[in-house]
Amino acid sequence: MKFGSYLIWLTVAVGAGIIVLLGYFVDVQMILEARESLMHWAVILAATAVFMGLVNLMMVHWNRISTQSKDWIFSAILVVFMLEMLVLGLIFGPDHKLVLFFFTYVQLPVEISLMAILAVVLVVAGFQLIRRRRDLLSMAFMGSALVVLVGTLPWVIGSESEIVRMLGELRAWLTQVWAVAGARGILLGVALGAAATGLRVIMGVDRPYGD
Amino acid sequence: MTVDILGFAILIIFSILVVVLSMISRRLPIELRSMKAFDELRKAVERSVEAGERVHLSLGTGSLIGAESAPGLAGLALLGQVASATRMSDKPVVVTAGDGAMAILAQDSLRSAYQRAGEPRRYEATAGRVLGLTPFSYTVGLPPVLTTEQISAHLLLGSFGAEGALAAHFGDRQEAFVLGGTDDVPSQALLFATSKDQLIGEEIFATGAYLSVGPMYRASLHAQDLLRALIVLAVLAGSLWLTLGGGL
Repeated sequence: MKFGSYLIWLTVAVGAGIIVLLGYFVDVQMILEARESLMHWAVILAATAVFMGLVNLMMVHWNRISTQSKDWIFSAILVVFMLEMLVLGLIFGPDHKLVLFFFTYVQLPVEISLMAILAVVLVVAGFQLIRRRRDLLSMAFMGSALVVLVGTLPWVIGSESEIVRMLGELRAWLTQVWAVAGARGILLGVALGAAATGLRVIMGVDRPYGD
Repeated sequence: MTVDILGFAILIIFSILVVVLSMISRRLPIELRSMKAFDELRKAVERSVEAGERVHLSLGTGSLIGAESAPGLAGLALLGQVASATRMSDKPVVVTAGDGAMAILAQDSLRSAYQRAGEPRRYEATAGRVLGLTPFSYTVGLPPVLTTEQISAHLLLGSFGAEGALAAHFGDRQEAFVLGGTDDVPSQALLFATSKDQLIGEEIFATGAYLSVGPMYRASLHAQDLLRALIVLAVLAGSLWLTLGGGL
């Protein structure tokens, strides 16, 4: 990229970043309106980027089909269904029953099935964790996960057994004291890290839009 | 006109700290503590280049406009370094995202990294791609990438929800090196269980500093540490004040 065009991107990014950031701290009508306009532009640009992303996805899978790469048939199915949904959406609109039919009976069940697989994956991962890393942190992680899981089981609720009562109290202590304290500490670090990343972009140090 | 003075003051202090620390760091370099995840990352990238295999970087399923963009931007900081390290490999790095804008930024970062390295012809537009626009459709798109592209290092640095655990598991099944880092606290717990190495808490934002992207990255990491120490002290002082009966 040439030096001149690089300066244009930098100025636009830094200027827009400063205006949007100021809008959070300063209650000046002009800045608030400028921030609002910039946010609207960002939404439009993001929508365009989604379209570009779909073109990119199509290109990748079209290449796989044309070169007959391994498992190219799945790419062909993806391209066919992508075009079909695009055509249906453009002709009938996104709320038409035919479009919703494919969403409800294809997309939704697939995503719910993945959630179900996730539960199994996590159980397997728990066992693998103990096998791979037998350190104090992993043991504490698995131990507390087990206590919280057992303490949340349906038979615990309403039971008058002394052991079950103690288990419930232990679970509450872990989730309300240790987990909350840890999560707050992590969130504080994450917030500062995110702020630092944003500041670097505004200062023009981080230039994800290229040089 | 009303001004949120406290928030604005913290932001100004943060900015000044970053600038001052970056100036001081040239004269008084501060050592960073060793972190296993970053050491393993360097080794995994080197192994991939030597074995003629590919590194995959996932920027997560978060959008560029929103609070979840920050970990994705941290992932982009890593991308430049990985692209530079793998530029001589037969199989250069491939980046995937669940957001169109993030994929475009990934392509731009890749193009810039190759230009800086003097290898602009290594750039391919399809090396930065969108896999799916919903979290699980993105995750479903991962296994074909991992198997057909011969991935041996699977880096997850971006915004992930529960689907991050599945994404890490797919890499583990491929026997690839898996590094997971995200900003979401529950997802960090899932990544702890499913990935070989993980970046906990703000460690994902330390990527640039640990991989020597530039002095400002180190300075911003030190500024974060200083500011966090100040906030912790303020919280402790406030707790003590209330315990001793002081009013708000």
